[in-house]
Parts: sequence; structure tokens; C-alpha cells
Amino acid sequence: MKRNYSGCAICDSTWGNLWEDVEGERMFFCCDVCLTQFRRLVDRVKRETGWSAIEALEIEGDRRGRRCLAASGEARFRFRIAFNSLGEIRAFERLAVG
Amino acid sequence: MTQCPACRLPLGEGDYLALAIHLVDRADASDSPHVRWLNQNLARQRTDPADLVGGLRKVYDLGSGTIKDWIKSKFISKFFGANPHPFVVALQHPSRSTLLGYVVEHQHFLRQWVRSCSFIMARTDQPSVVLYELDNLNTEFGGFGPSRVSHYELLLRMGESLDLARSQVLATPPLPATRAALEEWNEIATREHWVAVLAAMHSLELIANRNLVDVGASVRYFDPAILRGSEITDASKNFLREGYEADVGHSDEALALVAQFGTRPDLLEEVQSTFLRSIDLFDDYLLARLERATQFEA
Repeated sequence: MKRNYSGCAICDSTWGNLWEDVEGERMFFCCDVCLTQFRRLVDRVKRETGWSAIEALEIEGDRRGRRCLAASGEARFRFRIAFNSLGEIRAFERLAVG
Repeated sequence: MTQCPACRLPLGEGDYLALAIHLVDRADASDSPHVRWLNQNLARQRTDPADLVGGLRKVYDLGSGTIKDWIKSKFISKFFGANPHPFVVALQHPSRSTLLGYVVEHQHFLRQWVRSCSFIMARTDQPSVVLYELDNLNTEFGGFGPSRVSHYELLLRMGESLDLARSQVLATPPLPATRAALEEWNEIATREHWVAVLAAMHSLELIANRNLVDVGASVRYFDPAILRGSEITDASKNFLREGYEADVGHSDEALALVAQFGTRPDLLEEVQSTFLRSIDLFDDYLLARLERATQFEA
């Protein structure tokens, strides 16, 4: 999965030392809450789009809420997502792709 | 004594190198509260402990102000900065679901509030603190008779005005995030010095302190215009107005007590660290109110 972050897959922090397989790829996370967030994000995007895989993901924002653009082939899916303190999704909104 | 602001581990007074080593050690183990604290307060990029010492000293430095000013400043930057807390944003002009999320989770918060403040009373040797807590607990939970009911009763009436029966509110367990915060506040109340608990709990009443906009807050807890007109129910106005009127005095008086009893050098850093942990818990708890609110959305 092509991503715009080189640190933690969801927040870009370089603290921590958690490496986990997500979608067949070894990814770095700063903590288990971020790992949960990322897994929930991927599952939700796949459910909303029907895609079998996310090929690229751009994330902007912070813990207050993130705006994201996911891609699979030529298809694009833009959304806003926010999590609770345990890493579970508490808000999800589809945005217009523009 | 310094304490870790993420896990409250006691460390030597003013020993910011030991604190930095501890934070980095726990972050290297991917421990979420420590990583979070570093990310939000010092740096997002990993650095060596020695490079964090200056930043830590700055976090704890009172500057030319008092502990009261320091607490207000930290609280404002966390909840009322340029990007206010999402619950504060939602409460400016609240939907029915936002208010119901508030009702369901906050009844649990207020019940823990009684326990936390009771521990302060049980452990303080200061009559002024006992009197303050008695008045606070009556305002928040006990009430002063039928003509002046408690904040807890007003909360339940707000729920009823929005068609949520109090029996249903009282039978609903807290969300996991609320439960986790309440459990840690309970632990703080039972284990930390009573002045640290006083700061940790009553600083949270700053959330409804309308005067924070005079010292840097970007917004108030809610737009006071909603107390006029028909945007929210009368019972909701009564609940919000009570906090709006009471919490200026509650928070200011409590912080004056913290300043009076908590500035001993060996106690000050414990007070500061406990407060810092408490506002992280409060951040989580306010998000849980929004999470609950989604259950009431159409």
C-alpha cells in the first residue's frame, strides 16, 4: 500500500516499535491504539467500497479527525474518520471526490 | 517529587532526565499513554532522552505565573485552542443526540465525582477544603432541596426532556472509554496526595468556565445564545446554565486552594503530573460522549 507517511502508518510518529502485518504488508505503528485505528480504517474502506485491497492511502489531520483519500486502480474514495481513545471508529463520513 | 505524566510513576524531584529516560523507555515498548504524551506535548519524532530534558523543563515551568495560571494555560491549549475539542465544537449548538450522549455518559462521571471528592475530604487536614467539597458535592450531586436541585438531577431532567427516560439512563453502563477513564480517576483519588487529586478533578470544571475566553480560549464550552430562544429544551438550558454559572466559582476556588496548599517544591510536580494525566483522561471521556451520541442519531 502506497502511503504518504513514513512513520506510524496512521499518525506518522516515529516513537514506538510495533511492527505488524496489515493487508499482507509489514507496517510500522507507534502503539497498539494506532494499530487498531489503522485496521479499522482499512476494514471500513473495504466495506464501503467493495474493494479487495487499498493500493494507496493519503492521510491528513490529527487525533481530532483525519481526512483521507484511498485509491484502488483508477477508483478514488475520500472520507473523514475519527476514533475513540481505544482506537475504534466513532465517526465516519464519505466525502465527495474532487 | 516528579511523576510521569502518563503513568504517574514517582521519580526524583526535578529529575527531568530520569523522567525523559522513563518516557523514552516506555515509548520504545510502544506503550500507548507514553507515546501519546510525547506526541502531544513534546515531539512526534523519536529523540534521545537527553534531548527531551529542555522540553520537559519547559512543560513544567510556571514561568512568572502561578500554578493556577499554569493549569489554566494547559487546559486551554488542550480543549480550547485553535482546534477545540470535538465535543466543545459539537456543544456550541448541540443536536439532540449530542445532549443525550452527554446525559448517558455524564451520569457515570458524576457518580465517580462523588467518590473522588470524598477521598479529598477524607484525606485533607484543611477545614477550608472540606467546606469547599461539601458545597461542591451538594451543588453537583446532593442538591439543596426541591427549590435548588443538583446538577445530577438537572442532567437527568435534560434527558427526560429529550424523551430518554431516567430509568433507561441509569440502567445503561458506561462505554469502555468512559469506564477506563473513571477507573483511573478512582485510582488517582485513592493513591495520590489530596492536593494532587484536588487539582486533577476540579481543574476539569474549567471546561464550563466562561471566563477562559478572557485568558486565551478560542471559544466557550457552548454558545451562550443557546440559553435564549428555543434551540434546546428548557431542561437542557437549566442544566447547561447551572454549570455555566457554578463552574466559574468552582474551578477558581479550587485552583486557589491548590495554589495555597500545593506549591511546596516536593508536591508541586506531583500536582502538575496528576493534572496532566487527568486532562488526558478527560479528553478521552469527552470523546466517549460523542461516541454515545452516535447511538441516538437517526
